[in-house]
Amino acid sequence: MVSHYHLKRALLSGGALWAAMLLLLWLLGQLLVWQDKQTQQHEFSEFLSDIENMLEEHGFEQVLQEFELEDEVIWPEHEARAHLADEGWLIAVFEQDKLLFGAETQLTASPTLQWQTVSLGEEGDAELLSATVNLSDGLRIHYWQKQDELHAHKNAFYAQLMYWFALLSLPLMVAAIACVQAKRSRALQALSEQLVQVAHSPDSKRTKVATSNSDIITLSVSINRMLDEISRLHGNLKTMSVGIAHDLKTPLSRISNRLQSMYQDLDDPTRLEGHIDKASNELAQVINTFNNLVRLNAIESGKHIQGFKTFDLSALIDELAQSYLPVFEDSERHFEVSIVPAVHCHGDKDLLGQLICNLLENALEHSQPNAHVWLRLQSHTLSALLQIGDDGPGIPVKDQAKVFDKFYRADISRGRPGNGLGLSIVRAICEVHQAQLCLLDNQPGAVFNIEIPTRQALSN
Amino acid sequence: MHILLVEDDPDTAEFICAGLAQHNAQVQHCDNAERAMLSASAHAFDVIIFDRLLPNMDGLDAVRILRASNVTTPIIMLTALSDTADRVTGLEAGADDYLVKPFAFAELYARLKALARRQPLRADTLELVIGELRLNRTSRKVLRAGREIELMPKEYQILEYMMQHPEQLITKTMLLEQVWGFSFDPKTSLVQTHVSRLRNKLDKPFTFDMIKTIRGSGYLLTGSTDG
Repeated sequence: MVSHYHLKRALLSGGALWAAMLLLLWLLGQLLVWQDKQTQQHEFSEFLSDIENMLEEHGFEQVLQEFELEDEVIWPEHEARAHLADEGWLIAVFEQDKLLFGAETQLTASPTLQWQTVSLGEEGDAELLSATVNLSDGLRIHYWQKQDELHAHKNAFYAQLMYWFALLSLPLMVAAIACVQAKRSRALQALSEQLVQVAHSPDSKRTKVATSNSDIITLSVSINRMLDEISRLHGNLKTMSVGIAHDLKTPLSRISNRLQSMYQDLDDPTRLEGHIDKASNELAQVINTFNNLVRLNAIESGKHIQGFKTFDLSALIDELAQSYLPVFEDSERHFEVSIVPAVHCHGDKDLLGQLICNLLENALEHSQPNAHVWLRLQSHTLSALLQIGDDGPGIPVKDQAKVFDKFYRADISRGRPGNGLGLSIVRAICEVHQAQLCLLDNQPGAVFNIEIPTRQALSN
Repeated sequence: MHILLVEDDPDTAEFICAGLAQHNAQVQHCDNAERAMLSASAHAFDVIIFDRLLPNMDGLDAVRILRASNVTTPIIMLTALSDTADRVTGLEAGADDYLVKPFAFAELYARLKALARRQPLRADTLELVIGELRLNRTSRKVLRAGREIELMPKEYQILEYMMQHPEQLITKTMLLEQVWGFSFDPKTSLVQTHVSRLRNKLDKPFTFDMIKTIRGSGYLLTGSTDG
C-alpha cells in the first residue's frame, strides 16, 4: 500500500521532474527552430546576392523573368497575401518610393534580414523572412519569403510533441515514482518487522532483505554489524556482572563467616583479633576490586589524554625494573632486563608505570620458581617496542583471545588471588596511548609485545 | 593535636572522632562547609580533615576559598573518588594530602601526624640524624653508629622519607606514593621486599631494630631501644 506520505512525495517529486523535463524539451525545441531559421536566413542571403549578381550580368529584365513579373503586374493586398500563401514568396519593386510592380502591401521590409509573423487569413499565421535590396538608378526590391514548409512542420511537430508529453508524462512519472517508493518501503517495512523479532532474541536473529536496492542491503549489513557489536558488549557485560558477583560473593561470605565466628569467640581476645584481621583483609580485597573498576573506567574515558607529556620511557622502565629486581629475586625467578637508553614517548607516566607493573605482576603470578622473566625495551623509528615475557606455562590457546576481557580468568575456580582486571587495565592503557598490544603466539610462556608511538618530534 | 573535621556523614564522623579521641586528639566537628570555613578562619588547628562531597558545596571549592583567604593549616581531603586525576585536582586546589574512602583509621592517623608535624624541609638541611643513624643528603652516605651502610636507590629513598617522619607510623600506601610516585597499589610485596632489604642492612648487624613493624598498618622509625 502506498501511504499518504509516499503519495505526497511521489506527487511532489514527479511534478518537479515533469516540469524540469518540460522546460528542457521546450529549450531543445527552441534551439532546433532557431537553427532552422539560421539555415533559411543563410540561404535567403545567398539568394539575394544571386539576384544582385544576375542584375549585374543579365540586366533587370532577366530578374523580372526570374520572378515571372514580365507583365509588370501589381498585386493588391489580398492577391499579394494569396500569392505569398501559394508560392511562399512575394516581391515588390520600387523606383524611388513608387511601386513599379509586385505586391502593393502593408508588409514591411528593411535593409537587414528580419523575421515577422503575419496573418494569412485561412492559412493561419506564417513566419516571414524579409529584406530590401537597393539597386542602381534608385531601384529597390522588397522581398518576402515564407518560412520553409519543412521547418514550419517541424515547428508544429515540436509543439505537438510538447503537448502530448506534457499530457501523458505527468501521471506516468508519478505512477513510476510511487511504484519505486512502494517497493522500497516494502523492503524497509520487512526490515523493521525483522528488527522487532531481533529485539526478542538479539543474540541469535539477524536481518535479511530480499531486494536489489543496494542502499537497503547496506543498511541491513550495518544493522547486523551493530547487532554483533551490541551482542559482544552484552556478552562482556554478562561476564562482568558474573565476575563482580563472584569476586564479591567469595570475600563477602568469608567476612560473614568471620562475623559469626566473632560472636562465638567474644570471650577470647586473641581469636577475636584473628577474625578481625582476616575479615579486614577480605574487605580490602573487595575495596581493591572496586578501586580497580573505577580506575579502569577512568582510563577508558580517556580523561588522562589531556595531561599527556613527552618523557624518558627508558628511565621510567629502568626505575621500575630496579624496584622489581629484589621482588623477583626473593620469589626465586630470574629477571633479565635490557633497555635501550633515552627512548622518549608521549603519554601518561603514571599509567605507563601501571602497565609495566601489571604485566610484571602477571608474570610473577603465573610463572613457577626458577622461571625466566624478561623485560626489554627497543627503539624503532616511530615507536618504542616493549616486551615483557616469561617462560612459564603460558596461556592456553582457547583463553588467549579473552585474557584482556574484564573479570576474565583462565582459572575458573578463582582460587588464586586477583580480580581479573589487571590485563583489562593494561589494554585500556594501551588504547589511550594508541599503542599496539599483542600476546605472542607459539611461545613457551606468556609474552606481551607493546608498541608505543614515540612522537620524538614532540620531544624536540 | 587540635583537629577540625568537616564531614556530613554521621557514621564516618563518629568513627573518626572515636579514633582520634583514643589518641587524645581534640576534635571539632562541622557537618557543612560554610560553618567549617568560619571555624577554620577563626581558630588555629593543627590539621583540617575535609570531606570532598558536602551538602551544597564541593569540598574542593571550600579548600580553594580557605587557601585564597590565607588559611595555611594543612588539609587532608577525604573522598570516595579514587582516580589519580581527582587526586591531582584535589592537591592543586590546595589540599596537602588526599585519602580515598574507605580507609583504615591507622592510615588516616598516620597521615594526620605526618601533616601536623610537617616542618618545611630546609634546602640546607644536609644531614638527617635520628639517634645513632645519620644520613647525608649531599653525599647520600648513611652511617649507623659510625658504620657506613650501602643502600640501593629505593632503599635510600625509603630511609630518607622515614627519617623525615621519625617516630611516626608510615603506611605502605604512603611509601608507594612518596617513594615510587604510584597512585595505584601493585599486588605484590613491592614495599615489603624493599623495606625488608633495608632492614637487613640497617638493623641486622646492630643491637636493636630501628625500623619497627606496626602489624597491619605499616612501619615506624625509632631512634631508641624502647621507642
